[in-house]
Amino acid sequence: MSGANPYFLTAFVLYLILLMAIAVWAARRTKNVMDFWVFGQKMGPMLATWSLIANFVSSVSVIGFTGAVYASGYSLMTHTILGLMLGVSGLYFVVGLVRRLDVLTFPDLVARVTGMQAARPLAGSVLLVSGWLYLVMQLVGAGLLVTAITGVPYPYMVWILGIVFILYTATGGLVSVAWTDLVQGVIMVAAVIAALAYMVVDMGGLTEINTRFAAMNPTFVDPTGGGQLSWAVIGATFLAFFGTIFTEQDMLIRIAATRDVRTAKIHLAASGAILSVFYSLLVLLGGAAAVALVGSGMGVENPDAAFPTLITRYVPTWLGVTLVLGVMSAILSTTDTRLHAIGMTVARDIYSYFRPRVGEAHLMRVSRTATVLLGLLATAAAMDPPATIIVLYGFRAVLLTSAFLIPVYVAIYWTALDGRAVLAAIVAGAVVGLGGEIAGGSIGPVPATFCGVGAAITLLLVTHWALGPRRRREAALAAVAADEGVG
Amino acid sequence: MKPLGLPLPMFLVFAIVILAGSLGAIHYLIVHVLLRRPFGDEPAGALPGIGAGGERRPAEPPEGGAR
Repeated sequence: MSGANPYFLTAFVLYLILLMAIAVWAARRTKNVMDFWVFGQKMGPMLATWSLIANFVSSVSVIGFTGAVYASGYSLMTHTILGLMLGVSGLYFVVGLVRRLDVLTFPDLVARVTGMQAARPLAGSVLLVSGWLYLVMQLVGAGLLVTAITGVPYPYMVWILGIVFILYTATGGLVSVAWTDLVQGVIMVAAVIAALAYMVVDMGGLTEINTRFAAMNPTFVDPTGGGQLSWAVIGATFLAFFGTIFTEQDMLIRIAATRDVRTAKIHLAASGAILSVFYSLLVLLGGAAAVALVGSGMGVENPDAAFPTLITRYVPTWLGVTLVLGVMSAILSTTDTRLHAIGMTVARDIYSYFRPRVGEAHLMRVSRTATVLLGLLATAAAMDPPATIIVLYGFRAVLLTSAFLIPVYVAIYWTALDGRAVLAAIVAGAVVGLGGEIAGGSIGPVPATFCGVGAAITLLLVTHWALGPRRRREAALAAVAADEGVG
Repeated sequence: MKPLGLPLPMFLVFAIVILAGSLGAIHYLIVHVLLRRPFGDEPAGALPGIGAGGERRPAEPPEGGAR
C-alpha cells in the first residue's frame, strides 16, 4: 500500500460509497421478481440508453482498445468496433419483433423459435458459462488496472471490487444495476471526452496528434494495419463481434426491461450513435497516448500498461482522478450487468425449467443466491485465473455468433421454419465454430467464425427441406397459433 | 488529402463506424419522428408481463410447440 496515490484512492473510496448509496435507494424500489429481473418492464428511454452504454464499455475495452491502438494503430476500427457498432444498429432493426415476442431472456427466444422448452436450460447453460467467463476476465482486467492506478495490491483490489458489485447487484437486481449504470455511463463518457480534449490542447490539435502517430509508424493509420490483417481475418473478426450483440443475454434482458417498443428502439438508436462517437474518441485517445508517452520517454513494453501510465504519469492529477472514476465506471457497470444476467439465467432459464411451479418469492431467492455465489466464485477465480479460463474466454464470441446468430434470427422472420432445423443449425454452428477455434482459429484457410456460421446456414436449409412440406405446414400452423397469443 | 492528419481510407473508416452506429438513430428520426409511423405496439394494458388490472406479474415461460 506504500505506493498508493492518496488522491486516486480517495476518489475510489468515495465513488464506491456513492454507488452503494444509490444501490440502497434503488433496492427499496425492488418489490418483486420482475423488478429484480427486468425492472418491472418499466425502464424509460434515458435510463435504458445510459444503462446500455455503461454496460457496453467495459474495462477490457478501455484498457484493451487503447492498448491495441498503442501497439497496432487504428485498424481496430475496421473490424472489432465496426462490427460492434453495426451490431447495435442491426439489433435496432429487429428489436420491435423481439420485444413483442414476450421473452425475457435469450434462451426464452431460442425456446420460442425452436418450439422446444428443453432449449431453455441448454442455451441457458451455454450463456451461463459464457457470461461467467466474461465476468472473471473483466475482474482480472479491472483488478490489474485499478491496482496499477491506485497502488492497492491486486488481491485486495479484486475482493473490494467483487464484494461491492455483488452486494448492490444482489440487493436490487436490475433496478440497482440500471440506476448505478446511469451515473457510471455519464462519468465514463465525460472522462474520455475530458481526457481527449486535454490531450488535443496539450499536443497542438488532433491533426498534429495523428500526423505524429503516423510518423511513428505509417501502418498505424492504415485500415488493414499496412496489410498485416487479411480481409478474411477482418471479415471474421467483424462478424464475431457483430454477432455477440444479438446473442448476449444482457442485451435481451435490457430489451425486455424497456417499457415498450418505442423505448426499446430509442435506447438502441441513441446508444449506437453515442457509442460510435465514444469509441472513435477512445481510439483517438489511444493514438494520443502513444504519441505522448513515446514522445516523452514514457513508452511501455506491455501495451495494456499504456492507459494506466497515461493516468498516473502523464496527465495532471485532476484529470487523473476523473479518469480513475471513468475507469471504475467502466469496470463496475459491466460486471454488475453480467452478474445480474448470469443470476437470472440460473433462476429463469435453468431452475424454473426444472421447477416450473415455484412462486415469485422463491425465484427471487434463487436469483439472489445465484448472484452471490457465482459472483464470489468469479472473484475467487479472478485471484489467479487458470489458463483454461483464459483459453475458453477467447472462444466466447465465435461460439455465440456461430451457434445462435443465423438460426435464431432467421427463425424469427421465417415463421414456417421447422424448430428441429433451428436446433440442428445451432448445434452444427456451435460444434464447427468451436472446432475451428480449437484447431487454431481456422479450418484450412477459412476463419472459424465463417466455418461456424456457414455450417449453421447449411444445416438450417438442409434440415428444413429434408423434413418435407407436410412437416413445414404443421410447423407453420403451430407458429401461427403461437403468434396469435403474442399479438 | 489528409483530413485530421489521417490518410483518406482511415478517415473514411472512422466516418463509416459513426455512420454504422447511427443507422438506428437516422431510421428513428426519419420513420418515427418525421413520418410519425407507429411502433406496432399493443396498448399499454396488454403488454406482456402485465396483468389485466395493470399489476406486474412474471412472464410465463413460453409454451412448447410454438413452432
